[in-house]
Amino acid sequence: MSIDTIIMYIVTFVLLIVSFILDKEKTFKGVKKGAKAFLKLMPILLPLFLFIGIMLAIVTPQFISNILGADSGFIGMLFALIVGSITFMPAFVSYPLGAQLLANGAGVAQVAAFLATLMSVGIVYYAAESKLFSKKAAIYRNVISFIGALLIILVVLVVY
Amino acid sequence: MKNKFLVLSVIILVVYIFIDISVTIQAFKNTGNQLWSMLLIVPPIFLLIGLFDVWVPREKVILLMGENSGIKGMFLAFLLGALSAGPTMASFPVALIMLKKGAKYSNVLFFVMTWSTLKIPIIIFQVSQVGLTLTAIINISMLFVFIIGAIFAEKLFTSEEKQQFYQKAINYNKQ
Repeated sequence: MSIDTIIMYIVTFVLLIVSFILDKEKTFKGVKKGAKAFLKLMPILLPLFLFIGIMLAIVTPQFISNILGADSGFIGMLFALIVGSITFMPAFVSYPLGAQLLANGAGVAQVAAFLATLMSVGIVYYAAESKLFSKKAAIYRNVISFIGALLIILVVLVVY
Repeated sequence: MKNKFLVLSVIILVVYIFIDISVTIQAFKNTGNQLWSMLLIVPPIFLLIGLFDVWVPREKVILLMGENSGIKGMFLAFLLGALSAGPTMASFPVALIMLKKGAKYSNVLFFVMTWSTLKIPIIIFQVSQVGLTLTAIINISMLFVFIIGAIFAEKLFTSEEKQQFYQKAINYNKQ
């Protein structure tokens, strides 16, 4: 468990106790509501987890760093953007993966593009996101994040 | 449509039994790991959603993050997103409760985007992994694009569409 998750647990625990002391009824109602929100999301997520599990079994870090080499150029960047866009990975997983890729000789621009899309663009979740918000909202959020990744490539190419 | 990924997954899993069964086994392990980390990480998020729902009145959220909340609303959206922990998918139900309570769509969008990418609590960890320059480039570029994206969303989405977000949020959080 990463440090931000631990903080989250502590904050929640404290708030839960405060809530309980202030109003027992309300707290139970809140916990029930939270559980319901969770149970509504899980059936949407489970098939996606299976699909992502398969993707991760096929697209291993070795596989990625072979293609994202320092002289992989434009094709490498394109590949980084596409593979990174498949699913979401939280930052505390993405950054170590990026470090590993850099150590394996992947190019900085390619790794940066991969990291940015990995965290912010999740095509696998498109249907779920569309259902919860709207198609337009899901497309818009992913496109904006993708543009962010493109900007990062540009900045990296200028800086490095 | 609904089970597209499930059908596709089962087909790939079966095909790989014949090509390389270790991939099939690894896929199941990965799925198990994801489930496990989801169950480990997300319970506090959903508890907070529940507590937020019962304790924070709609008027308060409208005041802090609603239509007229201005730059303060955006800043609050940023703080909430950046300080939260958990997979991006977990930010969606949080976004829905915010919408239900009357937060402005562009603020909610900014919150989700921030959640996905800009994690302040682990910024030192990020530097330790990929160095200060790359960490700064990623975080600053994304923040810049997210701000522009959120402001532009305010114009791109009609008030009718925003009303629909609100309706969906109410349905999701129905008793």
